[in-house]
Amino acid sequence: MSNGTGGGGPRPAFYLAVLVVVVGLVGLALWRFGAISTSRLGGTSGTISKDELQQMAGGGAEAADSSGITTVKEYNYVPATKLPEVAGISSYKPMADRTVKFAINVWAGWGPIIYANNGFKPGKAWKTPGGKDFKVELILIDDPVAMRDAYAAGNVHVGWATLDMIPLFLEGLRKDSRVMPRVYQQVDWSNGGDGIVVRENIKTMSDLRGKTLVLAQNSPSHFFALNALINSGVQPAEVGFKFTQDAFQAAAAFNADKSIAGCVSWAPDIYNLSKVPGNKLIVTTATANKLIADVWFARADFAKDNPDVVEGLVRGIFDAMTDLKEQPAKQKVAKLMADGYSIPETDTLGMLGDAHSTNHAENREFFTNQNNPTNFERTWNTAYFLYKKIGVVTEKTSFDQVMDFSVIQKLMSEPRYANQKNEYDVQFAPASAGAIAAESDEILTKTVVIHFFPNSWDLTKKVTKTVDGKEKEELYDPNVEFIVEEVGKLAGQYGAARIVIEGHTDSSMQGRAPKSLVQELSLNRANSVKEGIIRKFKTLQPNQFATSGMGWDRPADPSDPTNHAKNRRVEIKVYPAEASN
Amino acid sequence: MRLWGERTPPAPAGATSEATNDGRATAPAPSFERPELLALRVPPSQAVRLALGIGTVAVLLVFWWVLTRGPSPETRFISPVILPSPAEVIGSFGTLVRERDLLQSIAATLQRVLFGFGLAALVGVPLGILAGSYRVVEASAAPLSLFGRNIPVAALIPLTILWFGIEETQKVMFIFIACVPFVFADSVRAVTSVHERYVETALTLGASSTEVISKVLVPLALPQIYGSLRSLFGLAFGYIMLAELINAEHGLGYLLSSSQRRGLSEHIILILLVIGVLAYGIDRFLYWLERGLFPYRSQNE
Repeated sequence: MSNGTGGGGPRPAFYLAVLVVVVGLVGLALWRFGAISTSRLGGTSGTISKDELQQMAGGGAEAADSSGITTVKEYNYVPATKLPEVAGISSYKPMADRTVKFAINVWAGWGPIIYANNGFKPGKAWKTPGGKDFKVELILIDDPVAMRDAYAAGNVHVGWATLDMIPLFLEGLRKDSRVMPRVYQQVDWSNGGDGIVVRENIKTMSDLRGKTLVLAQNSPSHFFALNALINSGVQPAEVGFKFTQDAFQAAAAFNADKSIAGCVSWAPDIYNLSKVPGNKLIVTTATANKLIADVWFARADFAKDNPDVVEGLVRGIFDAMTDLKEQPAKQKVAKLMADGYSIPETDTLGMLGDAHSTNHAENREFFTNQNNPTNFERTWNTAYFLYKKIGVVTEKTSFDQVMDFSVIQKLMSEPRYANQKNEYDVQFAPASAGAIAAESDEILTKTVVIHFFPNSWDLTKKVTKTVDGKEKEELYDPNVEFIVEEVGKLAGQYGAARIVIEGHTDSSMQGRAPKSLVQELSLNRANSVKEGIIRKFKTLQPNQFATSGMGWDRPADPSDPTNHAKNRRVEIKVYPAEASN
Repeated sequence: MRLWGERTPPAPAGATSEATNDGRATAPAPSFERPELLALRVPPSQAVRLALGIGTVAVLLVFWWVLTRGPSPETRFISPVILPSPAEVIGSFGTLVRERDLLQSIAATLQRVLFGFGLAALVGVPLGILAGSYRVVEASAAPLSLFGRNIPVAALIPLTILWFGIEETQKVMFIFIACVPFVFADSVRAVTSVHERYVETALTLGASSTEVISKVLVPLALPQIYGSLRSLFGLAFGYIMLAELINAEHGLGYLLSSSQRRGLSEHIILILLVIGVLAYGIDRFLYWLERGLFPYRSQNE
């Protein structure tokens, strides 16, 4: 160092100049900062107010409607009218030799496209609907951030994601209309591929309150955990989150540190961890089978320039899903995946069970059915709600800015696709609440409060109120619609779980009314909640639900049994289905 | 040898004397007015240095500004998704400080680096002095030291998780493990490069082995050890990004990786600038200390 300074330090003038530059930059920053008054987001702390919950539900397109919806209700707008217009000159790397560069990760759901492409390398000819050829090169980019950056720079034309990740991507991508994602197809629902492993002493999700949970930040694991915790009434701030870079590290940390109460990770790690004595699997996406949706998305400029290629991709993937029902095709794709992913063939064959490939009928349910409790729009809004809660997203981009169901809609006119059936609904045999509870501990309990008219179990009971001198009829509890939406969504997400609805009453009439009468009333109330849900969400099966009336037997807070307001409630318990073991 | 670091910036008069001294350049240089600017290995004057440094930065800023300006994101030469404009970067300073707790992150990172590196110095320097003095120790530690300096440090992350958990200990120990082989090796080299004549003189004057170490080797090696610690500190700083990948609540490395995750390229650029300014400040501070601690240094070499 003494080399360049001739033994002394730099002159005072140098320090002065640096100081001036630094002060200038800071000053400019402060000035800009003052000019933009962004309100502080909640950070990782905070609780959810009722208003926020209602805002979340408010994302839905429907107003409160007690008359019930009778059939599937599909969006009737044209996607292109809502999607953001693409400005400027396309900035992706041109398709050399008409080859689409399609990013994928190590995941079972990419089986169909790997099969359709006969491996990762471009070679096999794909067809556009017009009969023109194109090729596909599958590029393995496991790290979502690296994938997003390759996509933003135009090095890949198509990216992979779970739908819940796209709001996080949009924070950067929405600055430029050319890189806005266009989601055309759902490739799968995670079905056993993700899960939460806990220590033996954790019986239900709410036991994680005050404990630590290790997981990969801003990943599907994060989404899964936040959703389960908030539905159990646990706020993110009440859990000590330990973040790792990926799910493998989370599993390793859970294994190494016994003070961590739970871990969210992937197959096969979750199954290996659950075999360790003292650990157990509390829930996987085999039970929460309509929560994590894998999709692919094209750059907006690419999709605009090549709509025929996009349609060709959708068709090719659907066709491969049909082929993959046969065992020889599965064997073949396992081999192709083993080559591309550099993992043993036995592993890739086993991996195929981690996801359920979604056919055209299931895509139609997902993209276009407004009455589906787990459709695109609701999954999207749930992700925004959860990520806003922990302060990692800023402004919300509406689902219709990225969802393009035009191809799914177009294929409805072709019997080959239109005749496909939804094959992803679990069939439930009727079971009583008692039998379900005897089988296992519940995964989580969601407590909601519905105010019923005294001695009534009518959910949509209207009362006449005098407002400004005029008589006006309104719902006794205006929150009912919102609660039905919330519970229906939970039942949809946990599509393979048994849902038990427990009615509870306060003990204000203890000693004055017979216990049996109160129990009957609480059972009727639980039943009317069930009916309200099934009326709103036709896709849910009545047999998924069981009801019970608890009367005043189990106060919400045993240490405060006379808190009547707290005790008049409905508890929704989610139980693992017997079939999942 | 002694003049090596102190070649005086040649004044116009000095230029001729140097030319004659070296016995080269007898022909008068046409650029006699300012030959020093492009003269081989001759440092420019302080003012020129400053002007050149600021000039380079200014040119880069202008390039950056030109490439990222335009009426709409799509008409810019470089899309804001790839590179935000200077104004956007500066404008995001407020959110970086307010919402993302920049100051706490700076504190957390400095603490980790200081602890990890301090521990490495505490262990590496005495061991290095010992090994430099007794070469048998050095011989037995040589394979380990070589190994430690050549492993890819990122590979240590999973191992440190297994050994030290995912709390602060892991981050500190990661930096410690990554730095200690270098500290050790540099300390050994500092001791072994003390000229034999000092040792011989001390022995002739009747000094014992321990006296030679404490009165001769250590005082003479310390300035060089200090100098290498100063440059290795920069190395430790470079490891924070890796150290803070796992379960960091605050920290510049964590801020960087979470900004990357969330696509906040403005914040990434700002944090890099902050790291640069911090590193510069720390280095100046250490240099200032060095001049106070080892005023005899210039007589050493």
